[in-house]
Amino acid sequence: MVTRKFGRTLLYLGLIVGGFFYIYPFLWMVSASFKTLPEFARGGLSLIPQTIHWQNYLIAWREAEFSRYFLNTVALATIPTITSLISTSMAGYALATRRFPGRKIYIGGAVVMMFLPHGLTVIPVFMLIHKLGLLHTLLGVMLPSMGGTLMQALFFLGYYSSISTGAKTLEEAARVDGAGFFQTYWRIMMPLGRPMFATLGILAFISGWNNFYWPLVISLGDPKLRTLPVGLYAFRGEHITEWTLLCAGTTMALIPIILLFLFFQRYIIEGLAGAIKM
Amino acid sequence: MNTEKKELSINYPVKKRGFWQQVKENLSAYTFLTPMTLAWVAFGLYPMIASYWIVLYEWSGIGEPTRYVGLANFARVISDPFFWKAFRNSFIYAGFQVPIQLFLALVLAMTLNLKWLKGKAVFRTIFFLPSLMSRAIIGLVLGLMLSPFNGVINEWLIHLHIIKQGIDWLGDPRTAFPTIIAVGIWQTLGINMIYFSAGLQAIPNELYEVAALDGSNALQRLFHITLPLIRPVFLIILILALIGSLNVFELVLVLTYGGPYYATEVVQTYIYKFAFAGTEISGGRTEVGFASAAALLMGIMVLALTGLQVLIVTRLRRKRAEYFEM
Repeated sequence: MVTRKFGRTLLYLGLIVGGFFYIYPFLWMVSASFKTLPEFARGGLSLIPQTIHWQNYLIAWREAEFSRYFLNTVALATIPTITSLISTSMAGYALATRRFPGRKIYIGGAVVMMFLPHGLTVIPVFMLIHKLGLLHTLLGVMLPSMGGTLMQALFFLGYYSSISTGAKTLEEAARVDGAGFFQTYWRIMMPLGRPMFATLGILAFISGWNNFYWPLVISLGDPKLRTLPVGLYAFRGEHITEWTLLCAGTTMALIPIILLFLFFQRYIIEGLAGAIKM
Repeated sequence: MNTEKKELSINYPVKKRGFWQQVKENLSAYTFLTPMTLAWVAFGLYPMIASYWIVLYEWSGIGEPTRYVGLANFARVISDPFFWKAFRNSFIYAGFQVPIQLFLALVLAMTLNLKWLKGKAVFRTIFFLPSLMSRAIIGLVLGLMLSPFNGVINEWLIHLHIIKQGIDWLGDPRTAFPTIIAVGIWQTLGINMIYFSAGLQAIPNELYEVAALDGSNALQRLFHITLPLIRPVFLIILILALIGSLNVFELVLVLTYGGPYYATEVVQTYIYKFAFAGTEISGGRTEVGFASAAALLMGIMVLALTGLQVLIVTRLRRKRAEYFEM
């Protein structure tokens, strides 16, 4: 009994110490973002700044153009999330509830394409955006992810298939009431698919917020289009010693994701776990 | 006989009309598929096919590709020692990062799955947090912490008397790569912990209860129940982890930019430099056709590896199904 208690205490201790070191970089970052540059340069292991130096955030927001990066990131994370949910849920619903000619070929083609090797696809996407005349616009940054991923559509397909019997009964009833296919979708399928919308929506938002490669490539010729990760990367290259401003910027970039996770933990974890069980 | 033939001849046109009728009846379904399909063709299918085609050209990326060179880009990639150095590095990264992080993730998931443990949600959040963050931003923060001048990690180690002098973690060719691997493990451990938790929670509790009644100890239950039953899930996790680590890019770009002296150059940073940034190896020029060839080669390599693993997964699944049928 005593050894068991001792073992358990040891495990708790290990988890607490390990957990502290695990999030230490974030604590350090937040702490550094409130320090003055001289205090930061002096070093020291204390996580509590001598004085709370709010100005880092103001300077970063106004003068280092983080406000622009922030808004670009918000746009890239929200708009494609909404449009992609609409397009992939419609596709998933149609594939799950209708036995139309070409359905099998469509699904088969999608799966095959997911497994084909891709070369450097970012170049053709760039060329396409260029030809559409969207190279220096925010729409050009967002457009490639606005339709959603095949993975998203397959998730919706799986979800709607699993509830298709019940859904069809509801749909029949709606049709008797004179609702068309679109009306049925907005009134029945959207509410029915709510858990999937929440999970896939949050995951899409996070991947949009963290997206790096495409924003990096498309903003090479136009710094106005930088998002937070790209902008902060560029900022470090241009202002190599403004450490505290950089920390204020990274804190601003990470906090929305932390908040999102704290509010929607269940959806995120279940969504990710669902991907493994599929 | 005669009537049958008649029926057939009647049936035939009905069937043909049936196809178009089916199409007509399902017009709304086609409408629903249109947005997804347009996006898929424009930003999925077309770029994929075009990426095969660009490989055949020598092209700086400016204007239209016109200098057709056939498979010469592949030949150049294959004969470039810098590519093979990067290729080797990508596999070294995966070879260390994947086993270590999967082992740690499994241990952590099993620990946080213990029935009596309190505060699971808090611990899970803590270990999961780095996985949700932008790798580029994580790289920036850790780059500051690992700095040889006033980096806090050196300061801690000196303070604890582990080292006497600050180490240039990312600037020394001997420590740069291990450091990046460690950061990679720290960053992706959480997501794999979540995956393993999902696998562990799918194991029916009765199995453990029956085994406990039979007088088995914890170690026996681990080797005879837990590990065999999460094996199929484990292989999916392994595939995802392998693909992810072989395509490591942001962490390397931000932490070392492939340096010092190409010690940490991986395939993805190599490709990026040739396609967009220019590199000393190419004389500062961008070579999109060449970069595309390298990307395609890597894509095929990763695919072959994944295909092999999928084969193993399906074989194991079948074996498991047979086992349960008995």
